[in-house]
Amino acid sequence: MIEIYTFVSGPLAWIAWSVFVFGSIYRLVSMYNLAKAKDGSSLAYMSLPYSLRSIFHWLVPFGTLGWKSDPLMTIATFAFHICFFLVAIFLGAHVVFWDTAFGISWWSLSDTTGDIISFVVIGACVVFAVRRLALPHVRNVTRAKDWFALLLVAMPFVTGVLAYHQIGPSLLMTILHILSGELLIALIPFTRLSHALFAVFTRSYMGSEFGGVRRVRDW
Amino acid sequence: MQKTHIRQTLAFIAVVAALLVVYLAPAALSQDDMTMVPADAFGVLQRPQVAFEHDAHNEKAMLDDCVVCHHGRTDDGLMDMEYSSEGETCESCHPVNPENGETPLMRAYHRQCITCHTDEAMGPVTCGECHRK
Amino acid sequence: MSQIADRLIDDPGLAAGVASLTPERIEEVVTRVLKGEAGAKLKAYQETCMRCGLCAQACHYYVSHDSDPSYSPVSKTTETIYELINKKGRVEPSRIYEMAQIAYTECNLCKRCAHYCPIGIDTGYAMSMMRRICYQLDVVPQYIRDTSHSHAATMNQMWVKDDEWIDSLQWQEDEARDEFPNLRIPLDKEGAEIYYSVIGPEPKFRTQLIYQAAAIMHVAGVDFTMPSTPGWDNSDMSMFVGDFENMGRLKRSHFESAQKLRVKKIVMGECGHAFRSIYDMGNRWLGYADMPVPVVHAVEFFWELLTEGRIKIPKKLEGPVTIQDPCNIIRGRGLMDKLREVTSMLCEETVEMVPNREHNYCCCAGGGVINCGPPFKNVRMTGNKAKADQLAATGVHTIVCPCHNCHGGLDDIIGYYELGMHPRFLGDIIYEIMEKPEGM
Repeated sequence: MIEIYTFVSGPLAWIAWSVFVFGSIYRLVSMYNLAKAKDGSSLAYMSLPYSLRSIFHWLVPFGTLGWKSDPLMTIATFAFHICFFLVAIFLGAHVVFWDTAFGISWWSLSDTTGDIISFVVIGACVVFAVRRLALPHVRNVTRAKDWFALLLVAMPFVTGVLAYHQIGPSLLMTILHILSGELLIALIPFTRLSHALFAVFTRSYMGSEFGGVRRVRDW
Repeated sequence: MQKTHIRQTLAFIAVVAALLVVYLAPAALSQDDMTMVPADAFGVLQRPQVAFEHDAHNEKAMLDDCVVCHHGRTDDGLMDMEYSSEGETCESCHPVNPENGETPLMRAYHRQCITCHTDEAMGPVTCGECHRK
Repeated sequence: MSQIADRLIDDPGLAAGVASLTPERIEEVVTRVLKGEAGAKLKAYQETCMRCGLCAQACHYYVSHDSDPSYSPVSKTTETIYELINKKGRVEPSRIYEMAQIAYTECNLCKRCAHYCPIGIDTGYAMSMMRRICYQLDVVPQYIRDTSHSHAATMNQMWVKDDEWIDSLQWQEDEARDEFPNLRIPLDKEGAEIYYSVIGPEPKFRTQLIYQAAAIMHVAGVDFTMPSTPGWDNSDMSMFVGDFENMGRLKRSHFESAQKLRVKKIVMGECGHAFRSIYDMGNRWLGYADMPVPVVHAVEFFWELLTEGRIKIPKKLEGPVTIQDPCNIIRGRGLMDKLREVTSMLCEETVEMVPNREHNYCCCAGGGVINCGPPFKNVRMTGNKAKADQLAATGVHTIVCPCHNCHGGLDDIIGYYELGMHPRFLGDIIYEIMEKPEGM
């Protein structure tokens, strides 16, 4: 079992991160090349000020028509994304892991805070799942891919919380936690989660069109 | 501070005394009283203190050579596996918040235990296995 | 919840097109369009749309059908272009019928959903690509296809013959000279300040609008001309059909007819989609980042005439009015402030619809939907109860409506929901209340 732990926390982590980094670079570069080849009439209107204007407005909760239309979704979305990054980067156990492995260290959340916001992420995932099941206009367009993406992001948090609270065998739970995290990282460029790579550009493009060509707000 | 100094001096004397009888009476090195990894230096703990029964661990791990854990320090400040440092506290070389590039105490602890356990494929390696609730 | 299969409408254009399809042909055309024309935009949209459903409430079809999920923007893209992408074009001909009906008649390409999508997905663009595929499959509603054919054959959308066009202009000139003895509608006047352009339906059945525009420009002392040759029609149903080649031809002939006359700028009548085709779609197809000849919309033009005092309004229009914000000039080109300033210079009181400005609901006629003709009229009526409610809530009689499509769409809605309201063009109001000096 320890051999498995050593493998998932060592070589497999390198593989997962490599797939993520090189996969992301590949996806971004090939998408940019495709855009240059086929979407010249869109690229020509890309504007940094209008992109930033759009991004900024969409980063404000309830600052847009979309965010105003479904408050629960808005809260869940913001809570999810903020807490996701906080946990991934600043969770005490994660910082200790990097510290032990590479001797690099940075500020971290207290364990209690980390625990609470991990539950916030899981809560947001529950909101997403309930919406997919209960709201007709979401259920109607939900496909296997969408559930898979939700499962991918939820699993590291569920296993992480179980490992932290020492529910179930600690070694096994930790292995599952690392494995699910690696699966998530590696698959970001190749699933619905690729919005992590592309959303900034689709948002920027819409901002540029609405700002530069259409001369109105896109929020 | 003064108290610590006195304690260190006493510990040193004890170690020297112990060295004298080390081959005659191995039992003299016994640390039956050690059951936890010292954690006072950290102040408020985020996780439960780690249990560590020194003698039971070493017996189980078949560790006779102290330097495996109690490594020394070369003049360059590197790990010295020739010179043993038993009797000195870990913290004396590994401050919690180092200022001169020493390995911090927490990292030293984590590496000391986990590296050996993963190398040997034995013993606890994950957070929850040591920091038990 | 309903499904598109339950609400199929008999249309000869769709039916004949689908009858001649084979799965192989569908796959071939879909692949060709997806690989050859679509690019990173569509790919990113299809892939990163999180199916969160936030866009649903943006759509007047969704709102008007008691939140029927099959009308949400994301549902309409998922059921059409996204499905074709996922299945690589391997769908049955009958499915293309459904997709075409959604793409041509259940989306006005109004882009209101852009205000709702956090990721910034351009549903209007996705639906345009769906129409592009339908057009290449020759599955297009009969009426709008005929209109596009008219564009192709005559360069105007109403089968107006070259001589009939000139006749109509001279007829209006003749009529107007009873009221303004010196009024002219100068044809092909080289170097004129302004080239005035209209859409095909104006000479065909809204001829009084040409009269009114000529009267306004005459009174304001505008140096204008109208072309006697094809290119005069700025409208563009080919754009909405997905016949982009023809869209390019139309816009080229439009701009070139203005360039030949060496005019300073084009002023276009009160139309929305024609504006879209010169600032957004047609110009891009031709490779123009901007317009080769500046085009000014009637709203901007009237704003200039009124603020410069070239048109005087002795007495404003009595009674409150509301303002219809046409998507293609408001959400499309930001003319909401000028429209309001013009309205306040003409009318005593404005009661705003809610929501308004760039958040306004589409009239449901736009995007070529009204041009799909009588078979789909009820799609527009049931699909825009939201607009009827919005209109009724203002409690006014007159709607300022600077767009032909909105005009037709609102007229139908007003009749269907018995609202007793009346949409009016700005030119119509200006003509009625402006100062008309004697013997001019």
